[in-house]
Amino acid sequence: MNQDVIFTPLRFRNLEVKNRIFRSSISGRFDNEDGSLTQTRINWECKFAKGGVGAIISSYVPVLMEGRIIAGYATVHRDAFIPHWQKLGEAVHSFDCKFIMQLSHSGRQLDIPGVHNYTRPALSSTSRKETLHGILCRAMSLPEIHHTIKAFARAAWRAREAGLDGVELHAANGYLFTQFLSSGINDRTDEYGGSLANRARFLLDVIQAIRAEVGGGYHLQVKISAVDHNNVIPWEKKGNTLQESIEVARWCEAAGADAIHVSTGSLFPHPLNPPGDFSFETAAATYDVAISSGVSTFRNYILFRYPVLRPIFRWLWFRMKRGRPVEGVGLDEARAIKAAVKIPVISTGGWQSAAKIRDAINSGDCDGIAIARSLIANPDLLRFWAAGDDLPPRPCTYCNRCLLNAPKNPLGCYEPLRFPDHETMVEQLMTVYNTHPELRVPQPAEVFP
Amino acid sequence: MNRELPITAVQEALRRRSRLWTPVYLLLALVFLIGLVGTALGLIVLLRVSQNHTPRYADIVEHFKYGSIGAEQNSGIPYRVWRALPRLFPEAFEQRDDYSAFGFLYENDADDRPRDLPIGIARRIDRSVEVVWFNCATCHTGTVSLPNRDDKAHSARLVVPAMPSNNLDLYRFIRFLLDSATDERLSPDILIPAINQTGPKLGCIEEAIYRWYVIPALREGLVTRRSRLLPLLEKQPPWGPGRVDTFGPYKRIQANMPMSSLLPEELIGTADFPSIFQQGPREGMHLHWDGNNTSLAERNLSAALGAGVTPETVDHAAIDRIADWLKSLRPPPSPYRTDAVAVARGRDTYMKHDCVACHGYRDVQGYVFKGEKLGQVELNYDPKVEPNKQLGVDPHRLDSYTERLRDFQVAELFKGTPYQFKSFEKTFGYANLPLDGLWTRAPYLHNGSIPTLADLLEPPEKRPAKFLRGIDKLDPNRGGFVAPACDSMPAQANHFCFDTSLPGNNNTGHRYGTNLSPAEKSDLLAYLLTF
Repeated sequence: MNQDVIFTPLRFRNLEVKNRIFRSSISGRFDNEDGSLTQTRINWECKFAKGGVGAIISSYVPVLMEGRIIAGYATVHRDAFIPHWQKLGEAVHSFDCKFIMQLSHSGRQLDIPGVHNYTRPALSSTSRKETLHGILCRAMSLPEIHHTIKAFARAAWRAREAGLDGVELHAANGYLFTQFLSSGINDRTDEYGGSLANRARFLLDVIQAIRAEVGGGYHLQVKISAVDHNNVIPWEKKGNTLQESIEVARWCEAAGADAIHVSTGSLFPHPLNPPGDFSFETAAATYDVAISSGVSTFRNYILFRYPVLRPIFRWLWFRMKRGRPVEGVGLDEARAIKAAVKIPVISTGGWQSAAKIRDAINSGDCDGIAIARSLIANPDLLRFWAAGDDLPPRPCTYCNRCLLNAPKNPLGCYEPLRFPDHETMVEQLMTVYNTHPELRVPQPAEVFP
Repeated sequence: MNRELPITAVQEALRRRSRLWTPVYLLLALVFLIGLVGTALGLIVLLRVSQNHTPRYADIVEHFKYGSIGAEQNSGIPYRVWRALPRLFPEAFEQRDDYSAFGFLYENDADDRPRDLPIGIARRIDRSVEVVWFNCATCHTGTVSLPNRDDKAHSARLVVPAMPSNNLDLYRFIRFLLDSATDERLSPDILIPAINQTGPKLGCIEEAIYRWYVIPALREGLVTRRSRLLPLLEKQPPWGPGRVDTFGPYKRIQANMPMSSLLPEELIGTADFPSIFQQGPREGMHLHWDGNNTSLAERNLSAALGAGVTPETVDHAAIDRIADWLKSLRPPPSPYRTDAVAVARGRDTYMKHDCVACHGYRDVQGYVFKGEKLGQVELNYDPKVEPNKQLGVDPHRLDSYTERLRDFQVAELFKGTPYQFKSFEKTFGYANLPLDGLWTRAPYLHNGSIPTLADLLEPPEKRPAKFLRGIDKLDPNRGGFVAPACDSMPAQANHFCFDTSLPGNNNTGHRYGTNLSPAEKSDLLAYLLTF
């Protein structure tokens, strides 16, 4: 019998992963306000490492404090945090799992700004506010762009110093790179705006800066949105097409990227990413933490909260999903990009069935699969596959309650159908806090009056 | 107090935005406020405009005298104008502050305070304006002055509901109203001050409503009515008190028949107001003087149309209530003190000469509605060749009701409702009327051309040619009201010289009993005075 392709190693230029499954980037407010990560974060990542995935793509890791999406996510903006990340790397490695840090900058997609950021508009390619929440922003000056490029390079260096296995540039889903790449968002008139080449300049500059900083021997992959679908708000422009994204992928390869991770959508969340349902009751219970973040958030909250108004948002959100599958929603785009580049391609978007994943890889549509929600539901998903099951007994339902709870509550599975009762669900959520801290008395010099 | 500074960039932007939008919000608030006030005003106006209510009276006699039958909306006069007219037209009102100059009757209320409206005038709030107009009692409530037995110099005046309105000079009243339409005193500039002098001062909104809507609408209505009625009224001798042309105005107002289309012989239909006692036994009889309808209900509705209701405004419940009451309402007992023996002899004469066949009779318990031809139009001849042949009284009232009018009534009035007219018929003679309450019904014959019963028993040539109407004092000997010759006493207000030589006023016909001996006549009179 041939070996299951899921469990065959994936060899990148600078990295070998033991199987084809990547834990896709998911965050969770587990960390300290200053950006230092916690034991909780380590526990969280180890769930998946122990579960058998080949590599973990970290939480969304800002390279600058101004680039946070949500305060409470670990950052990599300081050298002082290298030991923390090193500890995390060690923990994940102990389960024979690789760890790839996702280097990120929110740009204007700054959902909960935190005390560091709430007095200033977010930095972006544009001064036009974010469309869904009305988050305020300001077009970056060239010095600010150059500063940010350097910050990415330094962050990659810190990841390498921490012994992590590689970095991923989060150039998808509406964050700062997308804000430069997307023709639907970028309205600049300088060398970072206009043509596709100009819009891609920021990303390519960052790749080159990282290569200059860490050399060619360190794993660097790029996550891009294959299609922007920027017109969630119907009067917005559609943004980048698949053809444009293929071109960007080629340029990334030429600039020194080792892999392309294919997602979709020019904002996050997006009707197609993550695909699945939208729980209005959950949104009404959690979106309140974001009300002060934007000028349109209160409007959204009203739309979520009052059943009579929900059809408005429902129409807005679900019209794009029609005719598209949940599982492997981005496979067609991944196939197209795979055909255009020589480096490995990772596909994300609703994957859960072993058979479908095997088909996707065997047919050469992609080389690896990145999964988030199905692994939150079943961190040991690969064990079921290894045992010959196609799906776990209680699979992810794509309810997206994990996503909607993330800004306010501990990250985990919130699908009530998967638990006998609420208490069991909470117990599952709390497992990540099993920290056994070694508390100690601080030295006088460590206490700031 | 200093306003707190914004903390976040979003708050700052929202504050900036609110500063920018403040004028728009203010404008929107203003528009909203104006809309709100407009809506509130609109609702108030709508509420007032949709107002349509009238006092209800528990007592049936009060209801008859003052309750509405639905005539005010279409035909009424605003109450405040009603109150102001006497002051503006003192010459028509004989310097009085009320409508008694036209023969309207005033009473005191239960607390013995003078009522502001006379008997026969009902009030209704219609579209926030109080309007007044006729009801059944206008034409069917009269007075009788009885000699005071204790004080011969003074007499007691009885108000008798359902007897003919012997005082009301409707012709003069209608002419006055129609003429006032073209009088400058009905212009708002003169009328409004008069309104303010005769009641609470109108508020500014109310005054505007009166100036721009109520008074113009009143004048327009009167001018229209004038253009319809005046050409007809001018063809007719003044009716005098206690009389009305029932069907002539019908042709002009309801049927809108052109004057030129009316034949000369149908122009004068003036007749006395009838009494309306004891209607129950009359069901099925030929009702109206010419007996043109056998349905009490239709006759009632037709009379209500004459009083000013329309098929849309008519208050059927109010009319039905009156109709039920009238079915058994007996006339007050005759006040005449007659010699019982003479009465018995008179009764014999009455029976012997078969008066009973046409007119029923009276026994000790009251009037008896029995007689083979009672309440019928006699048709034992070819009526179309010689109408009114047997009776030979003035034919004008008979001729005024035409086939053409009948066709209109049946086709158009209350069309499509359960009340649609169907019982009207053109007749060719006068109906034989029951004689209940005969003592209240002078002058006699349909046109009121014979002042007393004694005169009725005289041949036409001996009957008074000219006499005064409008006196309600009972003639103690002759039966009926005192009716001196026109030139026998100085002219007084309300006295009207009735000239039997004028068209419609002829006192010929009904020669029954004229050949009796004086003694027989005296006995017969004694009997008739007990009816």
